[in-house]
Amino acid sequence: MTAFELETVQLDLPAVAGAFGRRLHAAGVPVTAERSARFATALALVRPVARRRLYWTARAVFVSDHSQTKTFNAVFAAVFGFLDERAIPALPDADTVATAPDECERSERPRGAPSPPRPNGVAPASGAGRRSRADEQRDAQDVEVPTVASDDELLQHKHFDALEPHELAELYRMMARLRLATPTRRTRRAHRDQRGNRIDLRRTLRGSLRTGGEPVRLARKRRQVVRRRIVMLCDISGSMEPYARAYLQFLTCAAGSNGVGLSRSEAFAFATRLTRLTRALASRSPERAIQRAAAAAPDWASGTRIGDALKTFNDRHGRRGMARGAVIVILSDGWERGDPMLVGQEMERLARLAYRVVWVNPRASAPGFAPRAGGMAAALPHCDALVSGHSLHALQQVLGAIACERADDAAPGATWRPPEPVAEPEQEPWGSATPVQGSSIAMPSGYGPSRGNTTPGWRTP
Amino acid sequence: MSPLDAAGDPTQEVAHLVPDVETLARRLAAADHLVDEGLGTSIFLSLRLPQPLLLEGEPGVGKTEAARSLAKVLDTPMIRLQCYDGIDAAEALYEWNYPRQLLAIRLADSSGKQLSEQDLFGPEYLIRRPLLAALEHPGPRPAVLLIDEIDRADDDFEAFLLELLGEAAVTIPEIGTIRATHPPIIVLTSNRTRDLHDAVKRRCLYHWIDYPSAEREVEIVRRRVKGASQTLAVQVAGAVARMRDSDVQKPPGIAEAIDWLAALSLLGVRRLDECAIDRTLGSVLKYSEDQEVIRAAGLSQLVTSVG
Repeated sequence: MTAFELETVQLDLPAVAGAFGRRLHAAGVPVTAERSARFATALALVRPVARRRLYWTARAVFVSDHSQTKTFNAVFAAVFGFLDERAIPALPDADTVATAPDECERSERPRGAPSPPRPNGVAPASGAGRRSRADEQRDAQDVEVPTVASDDELLQHKHFDALEPHELAELYRMMARLRLATPTRRTRRAHRDQRGNRIDLRRTLRGSLRTGGEPVRLARKRRQVVRRRIVMLCDISGSMEPYARAYLQFLTCAAGSNGVGLSRSEAFAFATRLTRLTRALASRSPERAIQRAAAAAPDWASGTRIGDALKTFNDRHGRRGMARGAVIVILSDGWERGDPMLVGQEMERLARLAYRVVWVNPRASAPGFAPRAGGMAAALPHCDALVSGHSLHALQQVLGAIACERADDAAPGATWRPPEPVAEPEQEPWGSATPVQGSSIAMPSGYGPSRGNTTPGWRTP
Repeated sequence: MSPLDAAGDPTQEVAHLVPDVETLARRLAAADHLVDEGLGTSIFLSLRLPQPLLLEGEPGVGKTEAARSLAKVLDTPMIRLQCYDGIDAAEALYEWNYPRQLLAIRLADSSGKQLSEQDLFGPEYLIRRPLLAALEHPGPRPAVLLIDEIDRADDDFEAFLLELLGEAAVTIPEIGTIRATHPPIIVLTSNRTRDLHDAVKRRCLYHWIDYPSAEREVEIVRRRVKGASQTLAVQVAGAVARMRDSDVQKPPGIAEAIDWLAALSLLGVRRLDECAIDRTLGSVLKYSEDQEVIRAAGLSQLVTSVG
């Protein structure tokens, strides 16, 4: 079909609408029969006289998110021919369409298809669903430590950069047991609560009918308390490559833990650019989630531009509300190819928006660690906690730092003055394949509370 | 069709007023709102299918304004519901008038009358919040219901809206289901701070509003700021376009362009120059960091010479 003719469409509306819908669906735009039917109705209404009108009609009906526009344009061009109008955004070439994150993800799992089975019979979400509120609250303070056999015990302390592939799978199973609990905040929404601090007039009035109009019993309510959102930004550049997979698994576990009483999470990956992974990771299968994430982020294992990535995050997402009142977790070693000044500047903006900023640096576990990497040194004054998170055991500290309430104390940068930034080495340390120092079984001895193991002022309950 | 035939049936009323996209665009332009083909088609479909319209776009591109102009075109009230975190049914839909209910109980008590629960939870004790007000709008044409910044509300609230979006009805436990006689034209806006639920998107038409082209922006700002000179409007549109291309945190929207032009014409500026920009930069860039970026790049490069 190269030329679009009015007559053809009027004769054959349902067929055209259906066929076009199927093409779109195949290209990854979620199209349902309902939308195709709506398209047919819409065509009858607008009686398209020009291809441009047809374009906008179809777009209004089929596209439900700005990220689908590119794919839609490509399919429209293929079916109805190109638009020469300037009003239509430039049509992308085929390969950008193929790698656009949202589209990839949607095409892989059609609507309504059963979700893939859970790995190893572990059911993180349903397990979470059974847990009572009291449990959750207890978890906020003392995070569940997996107590398992000795193999697991070994894995607990194994450096993420020294893991074998089969160990990664095992690790996922163990990670799924971690409970991610951010601090709570009060919403405006109220709940009935016998000992609440506000009087629920609606129920009091209702009750008073039973007692002859006298409000004998005062029904009370209390503001609901919900967990804060958690936003994870994972560095997937070359220097972080040994850790990236394990951390993505951690992100997947966090994303999978969305549920009642649990923190809502958002995930991003960055190296040279920022990619939103929330959708890509929303799969029960860690393998698939990570494959999708890798497909979505084309800058895997390339150089690092933390400053640019943070800036993009702040501009596109953070400032609009995603970071407001949220716990931000940045997983990165702080090696910055760009200007460390920008990192400092953007971290300052982020710290102003967020509830707390937790920086997870796997290299912080090495003895004698000092934040020499330019980005790390610049970011530190704006972090609320710096933790290492280089092994599963160390991830417990990450969870502790995430669960921590905002202390009134200053950031670690204020209490722990970093040594004067030393001139950066010529080469970034991943140049050699040597694992980081201290990657042995036990926790590195040099790792102590004085270095902001968690936030200063974090009180153990 | 004569207007007489149309009276009574809300869909006919709307169809009569807006027979095609061109007429809609013309009527919107008469209400000082210029739309491009995309937005025009979306609004037209939303009116005639009818179906709620979800508008997304950068802040200040006229999402809210589109709903307001639409209400002007239809000559109906615009009922606005501003969403915020924790908004619930009592604030969006209805609330009982408790003082009045208490008073009624007392009165009934003192006069020895029987007061049943049905009496107490009747329509006269109902306070109508925006959603209910829009549903109960008596016509003859449907009201425009603007649900602004839906992404600020929590997801429970989205679920609560589904019945309204899909069937133009709401259910109040004490009364039952209230169905609109004149289903409102629903416009939702979102700033994309979070993804909306698919169930909401499924019930809506979607349109992403882009920044307009420079020529169109000149037209828009001139319509909004009466008495501004063409030269100044062209220069403002050019400068704003350059700001959007530069490295600022919050690129100025059309709203800022209008504010800026209004500020400049109030000061009696005829032609944009560095001094005038310097005095009024705060009305177009609202972050000090952004102002620094633009100042560092040189204010002179924002000035275009217009013949």
